[in-house]
Amino acid sequence: MNRSREDHVVRVSGLRTRFGSQVVHDGLDLEVRRGEVFGIVGGSGAGKSVLLRCILGLTQPERGEIEVLGQQIRRLDERARSDLQARQGVLFQGGALFSSLTVAENIQTPLRERLRLPESLLRRLTGLKLELAGLPVDACHKYPAELSGGMRKRAGLARALALEPEILFLDEPTAGLDPIGAADFDRLIRGLQRSLGLTVVMVTHDLDSLVAICDRVAALVDHRALVGTLDELRNLDHPWLRAYFHGPRGRAAARPAAQGA
Amino acid sequence: MAPQRTMTAGGWLTGAREGDRLLIEAGGAWTLEELVRLDAARQTLLVAAEADGAAARIDLAALDALDTAGAWLLHQLERNLESLGWRVELVGLRDGHAALLAEIGRLQAPPPAPAAEINPFVRVLANLGRNTLAAGAEAARLLSFYGQTVLTLARVLLRPSRLRLTSLTHHLEQTCVNALPVVGLISFLIGIVMAYQGADQLRRFGAEIFTVDLLAISALREIGILLTAVVVAGRSGSAFTAQIGMMKVNEEIDALRTLGLDPLEVLVLPRLLALMIALPLLAFFADIMALFGGGVMCAFVLDISPDQYINRLSEAIWPRTFWVGIVKAPVFAFVIAMVGCYEGLTVDGSAESVGRKTTLSVVVAIFLVIVCDAIFSIVFSSLGI
Repeated sequence: MNRSREDHVVRVSGLRTRFGSQVVHDGLDLEVRRGEVFGIVGGSGAGKSVLLRCILGLTQPERGEIEVLGQQIRRLDERARSDLQARQGVLFQGGALFSSLTVAENIQTPLRERLRLPESLLRRLTGLKLELAGLPVDACHKYPAELSGGMRKRAGLARALALEPEILFLDEPTAGLDPIGAADFDRLIRGLQRSLGLTVVMVTHDLDSLVAICDRVAALVDHRALVGTLDELRNLDHPWLRAYFHGPRGRAAARPAAQGA
Repeated sequence: MAPQRTMTAGGWLTGAREGDRLLIEAGGAWTLEELVRLDAARQTLLVAAEADGAAARIDLAALDALDTAGAWLLHQLERNLESLGWRVELVGLRDGHAALLAEIGRLQAPPPAPAAEINPFVRVLANLGRNTLAAGAEAARLLSFYGQTVLTLARVLLRPSRLRLTSLTHHLEQTCVNALPVVGLISFLIGIVMAYQGADQLRRFGAEIFTVDLLAISALREIGILLTAVVVAGRSGSAFTAQIGMMKVNEEIDALRTLGLDPLEVLVLPRLLALMIALPLLAFFADIMALFGGGVMCAFVLDISPDQYINRLSEAIWPRTFWVGIVKAPVFAFVIAMVGCYEGLTVDGSAESVGRKTTLSVVVAIFLVIVCDAIFSIVFSSLGI
């Protein structure tokens, strides 16, 4: 492991993706620093999820380099790729829990795949992850279909944390949660990030989340990414950013932050 | 910083008595990968520590990496020692690790109880009882679904403008036109097989010509329709379950209801009517192909020329032979479509359930088709047909 190269845990340069004739990204660059919460915003169809999928290696970009934890993901062989994947946790939008397994089995799946742990330790770890993700321990024998949307996200988070990842990718973590649940989830993410020393990359629509927990933000506009702190982006002169941050919702979300400062 | 063992060494844990003090040193990587080894070390240490202690010191200066699993184990060690009567003191803890340790210490983490183990005999008995009750309830629900569908059908027939013609045509294409190749091929081959087997047996009595009778009557009365029904149950019944089941998973069925649309009318009726039109047509096609296959076999193996074959056919069968077979088709179609749609509507929100219900739909549909066929046989024979 080479720490100095890893100061940027994710580095995307010159990314170009397209579907047919529709170009999604063209010459997109961004860098995520170790230990920060990095938000990705953009209008619908701006390619937030595609960017996330590219970084996760689920979608092949047409051009461009993507480096995760100092490794070029395109050049990895199967084994190295799977090792890298163990160092990153992903929470998909709907939780993406395996519907035929209970919550506990969902969390244990990655543990069983990668490690040989005795049953008792496995159970203790499962309980630990559940509690870290803020789920009651008695939820562990339930099936995903029996959980509410918020609990499903928490269970998905517990599974994403199972292998002690260094980076956590979140796809719209607060979408579909009520404001109280969303604020709780924001706090949870921030708390985990602090205590576990995680780097968090989150795609979000939620301005409140951005204000509450993101250190830096990438706005996907014109097929590229404008990266900066929230305040820097707010002061940029770009029509989409203006509409986003200075629209009614943007102003409402910014108010508590301004008061807090 | 610890010496050069940092990156190479895994986690380690050592303990030494010094008078009435216990000096413990933990170092290296306390991570998930090391957990099993470290847990074993913890247990040896605890056995050695015994319950007579005064002050224990855990030196963490050489700790390089700590994750939640490691922090949990460390916390566990601390608590174990405390419960043995030791006064535990942590030294050399780094800030980042301290935060994590505090966070983990805050959690109570009672281990989730393992799923309760039940006596296998009791479990088998309980399963038997539960499945019996479930089968009864399922039959009742299926029956009530039949009733509901028939009522909806009656309502739509009274106002034919509510019939969804586009959907009906689409399903006709799917279930009828697209099924022609497979139904035709299977029937043709079965015709060949029956002619060959029949000829083999009848030759012993010098009655080869009756092969044609055997073939024609069994194909028209039973084989053609039964085979078609089985193929359609596997092909279309399963497709109905999977389609409607996926819609159920996506909450599309609920969406239909909230839009004031009746899923029975929108989803079930077009499929039901399409299948009831398709199956008789397919059965007719299957009959023709089976007779054609048999004819080809007769011409090549039995030296019965096509002329003779057709003459013999017209003596062997009446229109009634054909109708006895074909009249079953709409009934079988009804059963297959009902089961397929019903199982689709009872999918409960998981991908696994879609798969299970699809299998179930095919099995139940084929079973019910054969039951119906048996009932038809009894009725026909008591009517002397």
